[in-house]
Amino acid sequence: MPNQPEANNWPRWFDPRSRSLGTFGFILNRVTALGLTLYLLMHLIALGQLARGADAYDGFIALVKNPLFKLGELLVIAAGVIHGLNGIRIALNSFGIGVRCQKGTFIALMLIALFIIAFFTFKMFSEG
Amino acid sequence: MTEQLWQVHFKVHRQRTGGKPYVRTFTLDVDPEEYILDAVERIWALHDRTLTYRHACHHSTCGACGMRVNGREKLTCITTISSVTQNGGTVRIDPLRNFPVVSDLVVDMGNFFLRMDRSGFNSVAPLAAACLPYEQPLTAENSIDHEPERLVDCIECGLCISVCPAANTDKEYVGPAVLASLHLMYVQNPTQEFIDQADHHTGLWRCHSAYECTEVCPSGVDPAWRIMDMRKKVMSDRIKSIFRPRSSEKKNAQPA
Amino acid sequence: MEEGGDPHAELDRIMKTTQPSAIVIGAGFTGCALAYDLAQRGFAVTVVERGELASGTSGRTHGLLHSGARYCVTDAEAAIECIQENMILRRIAKQCIEYNGGYFVALDDADLGYAPAFFQGAQNCGIPVEEIDVQRALAAEPALNPKILAAYQVPDAAFDPLRLAMAFAASARQHGAKFNTFHDVVGFLRDGIGNICGVSAVNRHAGQPVDFRADITINATGAWAGKVAEMAGISVPVRPTPGVMVAYEKRVTQRVINRLCEPDDGDILLPQRRMAVIGTTSFEVEEADYIPVYPDQVKQMHQRAALLVPELENIKMRGAYMSARPLIGGLMSGRSLSRTFKCYDHQTDEEVNGLVTVTGGKATTCRVMAEKTADLVCQKLGWQRACETAQHPLADYHLYYS
Repeated sequence: MPNQPEANNWPRWFDPRSRSLGTFGFILNRVTALGLTLYLLMHLIALGQLARGADAYDGFIALVKNPLFKLGELLVIAAGVIHGLNGIRIALNSFGIGVRCQKGTFIALMLIALFIIAFFTFKMFSEG
Repeated sequence: MTEQLWQVHFKVHRQRTGGKPYVRTFTLDVDPEEYILDAVERIWALHDRTLTYRHACHHSTCGACGMRVNGREKLTCITTISSVTQNGGTVRIDPLRNFPVVSDLVVDMGNFFLRMDRSGFNSVAPLAAACLPYEQPLTAENSIDHEPERLVDCIECGLCISVCPAANTDKEYVGPAVLASLHLMYVQNPTQEFIDQADHHTGLWRCHSAYECTEVCPSGVDPAWRIMDMRKKVMSDRIKSIFRPRSSEKKNAQPA
Repeated sequence: MEEGGDPHAELDRIMKTTQPSAIVIGAGFTGCALAYDLAQRGFAVTVVERGELASGTSGRTHGLLHSGARYCVTDAEAAIECIQENMILRRIAKQCIEYNGGYFVALDDADLGYAPAFFQGAQNCGIPVEEIDVQRALAAEPALNPKILAAYQVPDAAFDPLRLAMAFAASARQHGAKFNTFHDVVGFLRDGIGNICGVSAVNRHAGQPVDFRADITINATGAWAGKVAEMAGISVPVRPTPGVMVAYEKRVTQRVINRLCEPDDGDILLPQRRMAVIGTTSFEVEEADYIPVYPDQVKQMHQRAALLVPELENIKMRGAYMSARPLIGGLMSGRSLSRTFKCYDHQTDEEVNGLVTVTGGKATTCRVMAEKTADLVCQKLGWQRACETAQHPLADYHLYYS
């Protein structure tokens, strides 16, 4: 039967059309989780470079001094902050705490996240 | 009611059983304060007798007329045209998601109703229990002669299941309405049975906190709050069960 | 069916060898209750309905389980029927009835003048009626107009329309009845000698024609009974008589509030879930398929509602809708089983065998309408089984889908 839930329906998770704030929290949490998982994978590969000797490692360190990598690192921080703070809200809600003000909590936590991200952006890019 | 009529284009999902879906457009002159269901009924009565849709009470007590209006789940009998479009605008009407489409705007509610039944859902409850626990309780004078009762809020319209992102990918997930029903039943009669039914990976723990169910609920059930409150009750039950003798260990019950 | 055979011999053969079969056209209250009654008496029942259950008049009813007090002065017979059925439905259909009772309140001297006849009438009809001290009534229902002059308590209740129909349908299904919703009847099937032996319909989901055959066909289409009977060349004098109802966002009272007067426009306000619903008006139309909601009638309801509960003046409307009662007009040729509803055996009137029409009535009396119709059907087919629908609680309405 058409329109029944199926495994290939998952792209709909990321469809924000005619959705409310709660779904934006849901989408943000999924996107950041995927990003962080990807980062973990890359991180492990990078650590693997250590085993290849000093030259390979130095070359790698030179590569990550690239501003593009810095932007990537910033994204990791952003994802970590957003996912962590949103996670606090969801965990509290699951204990029945603050369910009725979940929207307000979400907005407040995301504003805090924005502030932290801005702080790191300033810190990372001003020190060169 | 406004004097002036609006011209509105209704793009309606059409589909015969097993056939290919397509969209047909009907242009109607409508009173902006009319309800979407009135327009759908007029399309059927005056423009296309083959259109199928579900409806019964026309005042939000039966839950039969749930559809998606411009993508969003609505109870069409209480959704005014002016709340979703403007003069000369377009209204897209689709069947609910996460239910099998039988034809046009008709979806099969059978599985959902049987899940509601297994959850023990009862349409009538004492007035105090029918309200949400965080709402103001009834004044004493009102219950002067007898304990009042009323039909509970959930009208089993399925909007919450249609909008739920978790129900979107897991057809075993019982969905917000069923979990809200388990909570309602547990509030009235706190027995282990309801805890066991809810405490399951296709039950309480499949919810991913998108809160869409509470957003679309046309009837004030607040399923998301009930799910979270039920989680609290289940967790406290789990903690208590550590201190209970092992003989009372619960069976791994399949939820409703 | 064999063509040209002796119809009596044919009927006897069927009676002796197989269970009788029946087609019920229409799945409103009457259709669902009739399907249950016949199925419980051993019939093989097929229900054919062009839309969803209760998608015509039944679903859009006001939702008042009448105590009968509304009619106790003008129509004692209807009132007695109501109170009897009220008691039965409260027993068998408790699952979809909120039973908080009702008040009749007097707002002016004319209402007060009606009170003695009302009180006497209610008692004569066996309706438990009790005069309530005004202060006590206002304490119980603080939203009531504080200027009320008298209040009487009666056993009114509010029910959920769709779920009542579903409960009857679920019970019918448990006795083997088959429901074909979204099947539009387009004509009657005739055997070789002109008797009706079934219906041809269109499955609207698939757009496919389909025929159903049975020993007897019952036209239970309420306000549409005239149109359906027309397909068999029979005239049934039913006039669709719509009334408007307006639902409000707030449940202002727990009890049904009736105005203490002769049946009038906007004289009943009832609670329904979180809402209050006021009704109704009455006017005749030719065509019941689409009846617009007239703004002036909505306005009138709004004024009447505010008379009973002043706070409704400022409460948002949630919905407004029309429902076409099946009112029986003209001179009665059919047999009158009750003044509130009619059951026509078209064999006696028009010499068309195999078709029975039931129409009229109200939601509160749907079970007894079904009982009387099933009695007639049993008598026609020589099938002897008594009605038991008043004795057993209905199946859970969810099980309609089982």
